[in-house]
Amino acid sequence: MNIKTVTVIGANGTMGCNVAGIFASFGDAKVYMVCRDLEAAKKARIKATMTVKAEAIAKNLIPKTYEDLEECISKSDLIFESVFEDISIKTDVYRKIAKYLQPHTVIGTGTSGLSINELSECFDEKIRPNYMGIHMYNPPYNMTLCEITPSQYTDPDLLKKMKIYLRSVLLRNVEEIKDEPAFMGNRIGFQFINEAMQYAETYKDNGGIDYIDSILGPFTGRTMAPLLTSDFVGLDVHKAIVDNIYNSTKDYAHETFEMPEFAIKLISENRLGRKSGCGLYQAVENSDGTKTINVYDIATGNYRAREKYVFPFAKQMIKELKVGNYMRAFERLTNNHSIEATICIQFLVKYVIYGLVTTKSIGENIYSADNVMATGFNWVPPLAVIDAFGGVNIFKKIASERLANDFLSKIDIDEILRNVPKSNFDYRPFFKAK
Amino acid sequence: MQKKIYVLGGAQTDFERNWSKEGKGVIALLKEVIDDGLKNIGLTYDDIIELNKQDKIACFVGNFIAEYYVNQGHLGALLTEVNPAFYGVPSARYEAACASGSVALDAAITKIRAEDYEIALVIGWELMKTVDAKSCGDFLGRAAFYEDEAAGIDFPFPKLFGRLADATITKYNLDEKRYLDNLAKISVTNFANAKRNPNAQTKKWFMNEVQAKTRGTSTNDMIGGKLGISDCSQVTDGAAFVAIASEKFVKENCENNEFPIVKGWGHRVAPMKFDKKMQESKDNAYILPWTRQAVLDAYKRASLNVDDIDFFETHDCFTSSEFAAISAFGITEPGHENEAIENGHIVFDGEKPINPSGGLIGCGHPVGASGVRMFLDLFKQVAGKAEEYQLKKADNGMMLNIGGSATTNYVFIVGKE
Repeated sequence: MNIKTVTVIGANGTMGCNVAGIFASFGDAKVYMVCRDLEAAKKARIKATMTVKAEAIAKNLIPKTYEDLEECISKSDLIFESVFEDISIKTDVYRKIAKYLQPHTVIGTGTSGLSINELSECFDEKIRPNYMGIHMYNPPYNMTLCEITPSQYTDPDLLKKMKIYLRSVLLRNVEEIKDEPAFMGNRIGFQFINEAMQYAETYKDNGGIDYIDSILGPFTGRTMAPLLTSDFVGLDVHKAIVDNIYNSTKDYAHETFEMPEFAIKLISENRLGRKSGCGLYQAVENSDGTKTINVYDIATGNYRAREKYVFPFAKQMIKELKVGNYMRAFERLTNNHSIEATICIQFLVKYVIYGLVTTKSIGENIYSADNVMATGFNWVPPLAVIDAFGGVNIFKKIASERLANDFLSKIDIDEILRNVPKSNFDYRPFFKAK
Repeated sequence: MQKKIYVLGGAQTDFERNWSKEGKGVIALLKEVIDDGLKNIGLTYDDIIELNKQDKIACFVGNFIAEYYVNQGHLGALLTEVNPAFYGVPSARYEAACASGSVALDAAITKIRAEDYEIALVIGWELMKTVDAKSCGDFLGRAAFYEDEAAGIDFPFPKLFGRLADATITKYNLDEKRYLDNLAKISVTNFANAKRNPNAQTKKWFMNEVQAKTRGTSTNDMIGGKLGISDCSQVTDGAAFVAIASEKFVKENCENNEFPIVKGWGHRVAPMKFDKKMQESKDNAYILPWTRQAVLDAYKRASLNVDDIDFFETHDCFTSSEFAAISAFGITEPGHENEAIENGHIVFDGEKPINPSGGLIGCGHPVGASGVRMFLDLFKQVAGKAEEYQLKKADNGMMLNIGGSATTNYVFIVGKE
């Protein structure tokens, strides 16, 4: 596949700008960065060079506006559309570009939620075979996952070529995902995050948000605790993702995608998270210029200082992880019967189960969820969690002992865990000693 | 070399990892690399206990300056904290700045050759991301003559290797632009090679020739003399492990005895101070004559010459040191290194590939680990176990590991028996 010229539409958005940087650097493609106005495009161009830490790619980046669409589109081998997540806005853009497309031009959408089949139908039949979803994660320079999703009309040969291009030229970790809401990474990731949010509400009298984040902190296989992640992503974005999944899917985890009341209230008050100054957490500047992070107390509706929870299981796990005793760290977890250790085990087990169920229904193979979660979220991937517990048999035993019957009755755990292989990922780097 | 020294294999950690960010320390690092290394060579901790009962095993630890980075000395003994199997096992730490890994290897090889032990475990490591960049540079300054060459100087080593670049241009009367473009190409080749190495620090990083040539920008700042960040290896956390064994051990314990062997070595020390190095080499054809001598010693001991060597792992702490290594290896005449670079001889599929692993610039440079990592990469290539970065022909490989400003020079040749 020879992609020499690319047009990114919506190149001043976070993803548009980052993806332009990837095409211009690893792809060495000339990239037209189409934005609402030229000033925004010029700023995005500088930003894009910084995302790959290479000013040298600036010569590949050309600021453009929608006025220039005819020139950009007619010269491009690939169009990457990264405009607002609204079907009418996207349709409008597609209508504008359709007439300038060359027969060979590939059209990829960066949508993270809309249906690829539905979007592709905005084009006439001749163009549809060249259209597909190309969903990268933020920031793509560090997160190499690229979920590629064909519509029912996509040319299979073109899809194959695109996968090779994304993998070998752009150095992406490519996974083909079926056209289902939120694709795979966000579906598995936000199942975990949203259920953590529901638990924060359930356990609001124990501390709520920071209580749950302390149970599911970096020592459980992620860089950032789940609710801190939601705050970072933005509650509005979180809501859009889980609403989409909740409204359009119906698997056993359906109810875990319902956003809790308190979070909806925060959104209505424009308390969206880090980007709006406060959300689940709030950064407060001290008199000496340092910052303190406070947390939203669901029970009182106010922000307060974060509690320094001391859970013996977590303290012991961290102590073992610090010196690389992974097996002992997991024994500390599974031998502990406190409510916090139980919640932690339940979340890890449910994450594995949901990962495996999802990979079987919308992934390429049993390893897809692992690839997606490791390279898109930097979370310990599901199969690697099983390895960390000590293998399938121990994992299954712990699952049946520590999960509630009403959960176990919803799934066929034997079937889900039948013949699962070892992960291709090493679990050790994911479990942080903090 | 009289007695055969076999290389059984080993392991390295993923050099992309930042152990401080993971909240983990040296014990976790050592545990991981030793666990993985033992697994790869088919040895257990119980085997170590048994071998030690018969006084057949010893450990050799390479590390430069853990006293500063992690407040820890007595690093040979520290292995007892990794596993009780090391109780009673002879173990000591060896230091020669960035060539610490090689001096540990040298000690291990010597002990096996003398038949004092049958198997030696060599571990090189450094945790450098425990401190900020400026302190890190200052700590490394102790590999030079600190008082004269490093005290009070920000990033002394880039400056020393920047001076090597200047001295190279002057000595051989090179066209400055052409020389700097050659260095850029060296950098790009190392970054490109690292893309195939799953343990490389820079496997996700972007670098191309334009970027490497454009020094003095905010993404490629000047770091020492004419050198930019792209000419420079990065601060890295990591460890590497290799096991070497006697013929007796291999015959008695290994089903398969087709292991690579150590064919030659060279060890030469140049004047400590950079000024004196240049003064001493003024009338020599080689800018780093002791580096060249260490290479010649290894060729002589192995009864091989440059034509017999299929690939090289070199100490590209800076592009200027890789440039000088090209002639030291004998790939070109001194002053003509540009030929090998411009003709593509040293790229992955070239005639004389240098650093198929990505080298220090691409794979990373945890200083005390680098010598062992290079030696492990010689093993991987010769044994056909380099997977994604396996070269087509790798019967004999040579490594050059240097400490200080090419002060300690260590060379090993590993090849098929």
